[in-house]
Amino acid sequence: MVKSGYVHIPFCRHLCSYCDFAKFYYNETWAESYLDALEKEIKETYRGEVLDTLYLGGGTPSALSFPLFSRLFTILSSLRRSPSLEFTVECNIESITREKLACMKEHGVNRLSIGVESSHSDRLRFLGRTYIKEEVRETIALVKEMGFTNINVDLIYALPNETLEELEEDLSFLLSLEVPHLSTYSLMIEDHTKLFLKGYHEIDDSLDATMYQMIHDRLVSSGYQHYEISNFAKEGYASRHNLTYWRNQEYYGFGLGASGYLLGVRYTNTRSLTQYVRGERNPIIEKMTPQLDMENEIMLGFRMMEGISKERFRAKFGKDFKERYQSLPLWKEPVIEETETSYRISYSYWYVLNEILVHFIGE
Amino acid sequence: MKQENIRNFSIIAHIDHGKSTLADRLLEETGALDKREIKEQTLDSMDIERERGITIKLNAVELTYPFEGETYVLHLIDTPGHVDFSYEVSRSLAACEGALLVVDAAQGIEAQTLANLYLALEHDLVIIPVINKIDLPNADVEKVKKELIDTVGFTEDEFILTSAKTGEGIRDLLKAIIERIPSPKGDPNGKLQALVFDSYFDPYRGVVASCRIVNGTISLSDRILMMETGAVYDVVELGVTTPREVKKNSLQAGDVGYLAASIKDIRDVRVGDTITLESCPCEKPLPGYQPMKSMVFCGLFPIDSSRFEDLREALEKLKLNDASLVFEPETSEALGFGFRTGFLGLLHMEIIEERIEREFGIEIIATSPSVVYEVELTDHSVLLVDSPSKLPDRQKIYEIREPYIQTNIFTPSEYIGPIMELCQNKRGTYVGMDYIDATRVNIHYHLPLSEIVYDFFDRLKSYTKGYASFDYDLIGYRASSLVKMDILLNGEVVDALSTIVHKDFAYARGKTVVENLKELIPRQMFEVPIQASIGSKVIARTDIKALRKNVLAKCYGGDITRKRKLLEKQKEGKKRMKQIGSVEVPQEAFLAVLKMEDDNGKSGK
Repeated sequence: MVKSGYVHIPFCRHLCSYCDFAKFYYNETWAESYLDALEKEIKETYRGEVLDTLYLGGGTPSALSFPLFSRLFTILSSLRRSPSLEFTVECNIESITREKLACMKEHGVNRLSIGVESSHSDRLRFLGRTYIKEEVRETIALVKEMGFTNINVDLIYALPNETLEELEEDLSFLLSLEVPHLSTYSLMIEDHTKLFLKGYHEIDDSLDATMYQMIHDRLVSSGYQHYEISNFAKEGYASRHNLTYWRNQEYYGFGLGASGYLLGVRYTNTRSLTQYVRGERNPIIEKMTPQLDMENEIMLGFRMMEGISKERFRAKFGKDFKERYQSLPLWKEPVIEETETSYRISYSYWYVLNEILVHFIGE
Repeated sequence: MKQENIRNFSIIAHIDHGKSTLADRLLEETGALDKREIKEQTLDSMDIERERGITIKLNAVELTYPFEGETYVLHLIDTPGHVDFSYEVSRSLAACEGALLVVDAAQGIEAQTLANLYLALEHDLVIIPVINKIDLPNADVEKVKKELIDTVGFTEDEFILTSAKTGEGIRDLLKAIIERIPSPKGDPNGKLQALVFDSYFDPYRGVVASCRIVNGTISLSDRILMMETGAVYDVVELGVTTPREVKKNSLQAGDVGYLAASIKDIRDVRVGDTITLESCPCEKPLPGYQPMKSMVFCGLFPIDSSRFEDLREALEKLKLNDASLVFEPETSEALGFGFRTGFLGLLHMEIIEERIEREFGIEIIATSPSVVYEVELTDHSVLLVDSPSKLPDRQKIYEIREPYIQTNIFTPSEYIGPIMELCQNKRGTYVGMDYIDATRVNIHYHLPLSEIVYDFFDRLKSYTKGYASFDYDLIGYRASSLVKMDILLNGEVVDALSTIVHKDFAYARGKTVVENLKELIPRQMFEVPIQASIGSKVIARTDIKALRKNVLAKCYGGDITRKRKLLEKQKEGKKRMKQIGSVEVPQEAFLAVLKMEDDNGKSGK
């Protein structure tokens, strides 16, 4: 039963140097047509399930002009919601306003994810962001003042030439914001991004791993749970929407380039804006076989501290996880830990997770 | 054809001294091929031969040449120039009455040429000394003549001067071949004795055997008997190579040609066997060949383990015309099923490996080469060991003996110092030195064969800027303090990486091996210790630090398929690795141990 929905808004006021998601410079006319197409997609594909999580991502949803921003929520009001709905909107510092916050509050948004990325002005400029850390402080204060308590902020680390001291300062800054959820991402230089085109390279793996350990130590000792590879949360504040992905459950994906998983089929809509606004979503479709599904269950489940649920695995695939994979060379040293209810990766191997996952995929 | 008008000869020459070009010129001069038809160096038909400029497989060509009113048939039987192939040289020489000794007018005689020349003299062949490349600006004919007179004992008037490039002297050479080389003896009316000196597999005709008819006559549809294998066949096709194949109804004593008899089983035809008639067999077979003993062994394993049977078939086909190639199944814990394969020398080994990959399309891993050791056990029984993994427990060994060689290193005298240093470093003992003339010398050392198995040739070449040439004779076995050195990855012995080394060199070699492996094996999830050990004693160790990062941090907005694609790509990269215990080892690691540099622990590459 589908209980989650993702909605993509592919517009930005500024393009970040590292981003490779589907996005475009904001243009009111295009944005308007886009909302029309989005409305149409929801109307055509949504089958009326009660949703427990909604996630509005981008791009920059908050980049929409206020009239369109407001209209977006009206469109989304056609989605049925459970009383415990977690409704997240991605915002950036530059475009959050009191007016938009009020609008979101009014439409049931109860979680904000704010890209902060760094506390250093030069680093922010490098990433293509146009604010400084004082503005971050003011914005977070405003958000809280408007009554939002469930807040995530993002940090990007492992920037070229970044030092451990700088990371330490970033972490101190993030902790001083007193928000219950933190996401930390090591900078990936992906093809077709500005950083890639300028010839930047990712930093040395060893330093990267040291930074990861430093983040873990600092945040865990400050009362956050490291509940997923890149995510930390205070008790009760883990992102329920993202847990849907990691637990290999189904979800709607609405919008340009959005991915969804419905009735055993994974799909990704076109990344062409012109096609999308014409109503041609041309999704790339992948039908899950039991084997693929099982591999995904593992690939995603091992990202989490909670790991792969023994019970869910058995229920879905009709076999015991450990029996199925007994022959892999991962049991002797405790790469995989067994808990009462699950199998999970020992923390010390989280950062080399891919090395483990290749044993399970494409058998 | 009258038997007295037949001449059978081969050419002995050092690599690059112009043998193949000379052969082409003979073909052209006798009208066997015209200029346009001569792909450069017709006799070298294998790609590898052309690329390396060497002849590996012998070929026989029939030429006709009118001389003083008579028509002569000349059979040119090619010989390989490298010392590793002296077995094949002796095969081609056994089919001849004469040989041309071709020496480069600028470079003089080389060690390997001399070795082959001695083989020819053992076969009682008439030798015609040919000084080639006389057109070169730096040719010094007088000096080379003097050298040949001093070392071999030719007389001044025997020399033929040629330039295969310009064609100068080719007629003189043909004249000398006809006048000096005796016609084959043998009785065309006697009982059939045909010596098989080469064979190959043709998908349409089965095994095609090259033979020299020594006595008697063979005709189409004769029922023939292979004397060694006892196989019986009906002759389907007879012919000669001109170099085009020309079918004949019969071949008689003195002729050199080919024979096909729908022979499907390649094992029925052995090179060196004698063919006779089933109805009227000869009393005894021709002497045939003493197959040379394989001196160098290594394990050959298909990278794709499902191609084990293909590899067997490839080796069987190669063995068909290369009796010196020996192989038996071998199992490695690390590499699976393969073959322990014996070779005459290193070049032979390289050529065979290359032919398997090129001609049969099988990718293989070769393990580090080993010589054959004589191991005397405490009960004084003797065991021959051609693989480190077959070495018994140390407690059971009384003594290990290894093959020794005596070198002939021909070198300009200014390189004596570096060469002696090289030989000393390779556990050599100095025997003596012969001056060929004022500037050239032949250095003799006794060296363990195992030392030249590694990088002796390469070092020699680089120490002497390529001026030295090298050849060796086996002189028997000597006791040495040898030990088996194991390589451990993550605490487990990898059998395919074990080697037998001299005790005094074990530390240095162990250090180099572990360092090389560290370079070649990618980081893994765990720290992987690489150790070299003798028995339970670790003599060298290094660690591959654990991989620290390989993770996808981002969520990709729920795009799971994209995540999978990235993992599948990584998985693909790992397929080319061999999983040994918990360690993934790339194929190159096994080859790299082969290309080992071992003095002072410096890496050679």
